[in-house]
Amino acid sequence: MVQRTGGAARSAAAVAMVLGLAATGCGGGEGSGSPEIRYSWWGNAERAELMREAIALFEEEHPDIAVTPTFSEYDTYWEKLSTQVAGGGMPDVLQMDNAYLREYSDRGVLLDLEAHEQNLDTSGLLEGLSTAGVVDGARYGVPVGGNTFSLVYAPELFEEAGAPMPEDGWTWEDYDEALTAVSEHTGGDPYGASDYTGLIWVLEAKLRQEGDALFTDGGKLGFGEDRLAEFWESAAGLREDGAVVPADEAEQVKPLAPLGANLSASEFTWDNMLTRYVEESDLDLELAPLPTDSGDSGQYLKPSMLLSASAQTSNPGAAAKLVDFMINDPRVAEIFGGNRGIPATEAQREAIDYTEVDQAIVDYEEDRMSDLQEAPPAPPAGAGALETEFIRLSEEVHHGQMSPDEAAGEFADFAERTLSS
Amino acid sequence: MVRTAQGPPSSRSSGDPAAPSAPPSPGKRARRLRRGREGVAGYAFLSPWILGFLGLTLGPMAASLYLSFTDYNLFTAPSWVGLDNYRRLFGDDQWLQSIRVTAAYVVLAVPLKLALALAVAMLLASPHRGQGLYRSAFYAPSLLGASVSVALVWRALFSDDAVVDRLLRSVGVETGGWVGNPDFALLLLVLLAVWQFGAPMVIFLAGLKQVPSQYYEAAEVDGAGWWRRFRTITLPMISPVLFFNLLLETVNSFQVFTASFVISGGTGGPAGSTLIYTLYLYQQGFTHYQMGYASAMAWMLILGAGLVVAALFRMSRTMVFYSGDEGR
Amino acid sequence: MTSSPRLAAWPRRVLWHALALALLGLIMYPLVWVAGASATPTNDIVGNTQLLPSRPVADNFARALEGMAGIPVWRFLGNSVLLAVFTVAGTVASSALAAYAFARLRFRGRNAMFVLMIGTLLMPFHAVIIPQYIIFQQLGLVDTYVPLLLGKFLATEAFFVFLMVQFMRQLPRELDQAARIDGCGYWGIFWHVIAPLSRPAFGTAAIFAFIWSWNDLFAPLIYLNTPEKFPIPLALRMYADQTSTSDFGAMIAMSVIALVPVVLFFLAFQRLLVQGMATTGLKG
Repeated sequence: MVQRTGGAARSAAAVAMVLGLAATGCGGGEGSGSPEIRYSWWGNAERAELMREAIALFEEEHPDIAVTPTFSEYDTYWEKLSTQVAGGGMPDVLQMDNAYLREYSDRGVLLDLEAHEQNLDTSGLLEGLSTAGVVDGARYGVPVGGNTFSLVYAPELFEEAGAPMPEDGWTWEDYDEALTAVSEHTGGDPYGASDYTGLIWVLEAKLRQEGDALFTDGGKLGFGEDRLAEFWESAAGLREDGAVVPADEAEQVKPLAPLGANLSASEFTWDNMLTRYVEESDLDLELAPLPTDSGDSGQYLKPSMLLSASAQTSNPGAAAKLVDFMINDPRVAEIFGGNRGIPATEAQREAIDYTEVDQAIVDYEEDRMSDLQEAPPAPPAGAGALETEFIRLSEEVHHGQMSPDEAAGEFADFAERTLSS
Repeated sequence: MVRTAQGPPSSRSSGDPAAPSAPPSPGKRARRLRRGREGVAGYAFLSPWILGFLGLTLGPMAASLYLSFTDYNLFTAPSWVGLDNYRRLFGDDQWLQSIRVTAAYVVLAVPLKLALALAVAMLLASPHRGQGLYRSAFYAPSLLGASVSVALVWRALFSDDAVVDRLLRSVGVETGGWVGNPDFALLLLVLLAVWQFGAPMVIFLAGLKQVPSQYYEAAEVDGAGWWRRFRTITLPMISPVLFFNLLLETVNSFQVFTASFVISGGTGGPAGSTLIYTLYLYQQGFTHYQMGYASAMAWMLILGAGLVVAALFRMSRTMVFYSGDEGR
Repeated sequence: MTSSPRLAAWPRRVLWHALALALLGLIMYPLVWVAGASATPTNDIVGNTQLLPSRPVADNFARALEGMAGIPVWRFLGNSVLLAVFTVAGTVASSALAAYAFARLRFRGRNAMFVLMIGTLLMPFHAVIIPQYIIFQQLGLVDTYVPLLLGKFLATEAFFVFLMVQFMRQLPRELDQAARIDGCGYWGIFWHVIAPLSRPAFGTAAIFAFIWSWNDLFAPLIYLNTPEKFPIPLALRMYADQTSTSDFGAMIAMSVIALVPVVLFFLAFQRLLVQGMATTGLKG
């Protein structure tokens, strides 16, 4: 190949050839004037397949609109999306995470879908999700699925150990007692629970049970440094006694969670993750109510993912139609089943022929519905970064590299910087 | 050490191509003419690079320099903040941590990888049956790159009760698995780099092949031992590739990203122990949406790594021997 | 050492092979694990301390070969091959030209430009990716292979230029002179003298360029949108999404499949690496 090239002119010719190749290589969907919608989402390979079917159905229904999908997995999705936004190449319709919603909407890059009501019907959203995606009265996102924070546990092991079984209104002390009993009974194979002070969502649940929240309405931190230190401290005894999965063992099984790697018998997580854990773990798993000291569950229905549109899209109407189709059409729900979480609209919820696991999630949510509280407003810009920082500092605490006080101080400083900018 | 490696007398003539053969007076003009033509030729040969530099590299570099003096969240226009980002860096514990981690990584990974690469290259340079096979096999780890699969292998090998742990325990060293231990986690990255020693090995091999065998024969006749032959012939003769490998591995180690990104899942964990500089830069830019700050970090890296590279180049003036360069 | 007659003696030979084999075992262990994992049920892969599966399964490969979103795995492989081949061609050609100028010609500004080139090595990718993306977005070239290949044809990878410079500086100056006496111009010297002698360097560069292109994740991630244009690393990442169920079995199986073309390329080109000056008839 070296012999064939040479001279600036000839290498320029080679470049031109590549240009031509790339240009012809893209089997374009740009027909005569029909709007083209670029649709970007994160997810696994399975979702890619299901998404293709759903898009084919949409194009059948709307022959005048062509949809070009693009996808990547969650971690890299955000780098790609932010680069596209910065560079002016934002997709028309995109999957959005509640934690990042305001990051984007506050900077004016998302379309207010309220203005496209004629193409997008949001009346079918479940009550607890109807305001999800709404920021300051503008609809920047529409929830696709909902989930609620829960406890996943292995009933058999709890029973065998003679541990207190989860029930409505059981307390944090009950839970600590239960997980300790399991760990003692099994000798740590598996442990009774994963260290639950590593999840910002457990902190949120506790705060909500106490009548507080993660963030104030003004978008500041809703809790003090002391509260956070106390939270990390609260499991110190469990860590010392070896009742929860030690930090180094949890680290080893990444990218799996301890529950998925058979390291623990219970773990707090979003209820739709049950599907994944059931597949990964050898244990029989079920969902349980959160422990609470106040009687309030603190649970609420959170959008597991939203759909948003770009403020710069040249086809807002077509974008709205696609969003509408994805959240309302029962056939879309049939295609996806539980892959996108439990759907956010009644019509789609009913359309699915649920697998056993997904049915368990639906039942759980329906069972908890009376206890569910009103959802907090979308978290402020910077919430995504805060969660990352929370995980890092939790690891420092769990590894004993930082005291809870130190870590809480650092977190407060970080929040101060991040939330004010 | 350089002198001993000089070629046979015939190759010692002046490096100036115009010098010996041309007659005096027209020679001067011819030389000036050739100088001019040589300049034109230089730019012509360099034109693709110049185009690429001006079109693709210079602009983005200048842009990132500008951004380093701004507050830029990727979504709204950058606003000028002067030296704020740079000032902030020095109060940022995590930034200082990332420098420590990266420095430790560079200091460990570069010499280990180069030593192994050179040792294996010398082993393979001698003619033996099956050496092609060995060469390919030794290169194989580098073919895998750094992907999620590599992260899985590495975690599996260095976990508690996995092969490395068992081996160490059998000789009485108790680590409890390296993966979950913040004191050992960085070593995983170092070992991954060392394991993928194929690139410098191949370059060393090519360099070794260029050493004329008569030198060794002559040295053998003089009764020079193994170490002396290595020091007086091999080292000087491969000094350009040694320098190249040293420089590039150093630069690459300052920039290593993908390995720590996939091994720690982008977190730099456990407990910040693998928070390599570029990973922290990535987090700032793309997780925290502070591209201005990230750009300042980038330029501090350029400054720091630039100093190291400049030092290496200075060192190379006395240590590196180019046989085609005489008379310059 | 190469010519030491004693090396031929059998104890030395045995020692050599023993050493090489021991090293080989050490180096290959993780690769064997990967091969084993590709035949291990997905749920047993993470943290698996066994080297080889006790009961190997083939369904990881079956799932990997299904492809993704209706796109067969061959398409991803084909895209990767296309990108890699053009990367190799562009990189070797443009870097050779630039390296010849830096190594053998004298002209104003050469040293300054050389310093600038080395300087570009130091720039972290993630700090320039947004400005670069903006350039290609403005030119309407996003979602084509141009952003991934243009730089390769313009010698923007300083590594390769520098690699070749180091090799070309080693070539004796008399060769240029002899060629000049034969009536060669600069192009002639480059084409008839320098380029043939630099084949080991070109071969090395070709192999590296191929592998780096093959394993590159972030540039394709940023620049490509249409899944039909994705190279293999982007497809691989789709098996491990943290928000849904991961399929590590299929992922490892696909990465094993993806290794095949690189291995073939390496085997085809590795012969070039050993062709030092000794075999090209110079000085040897």
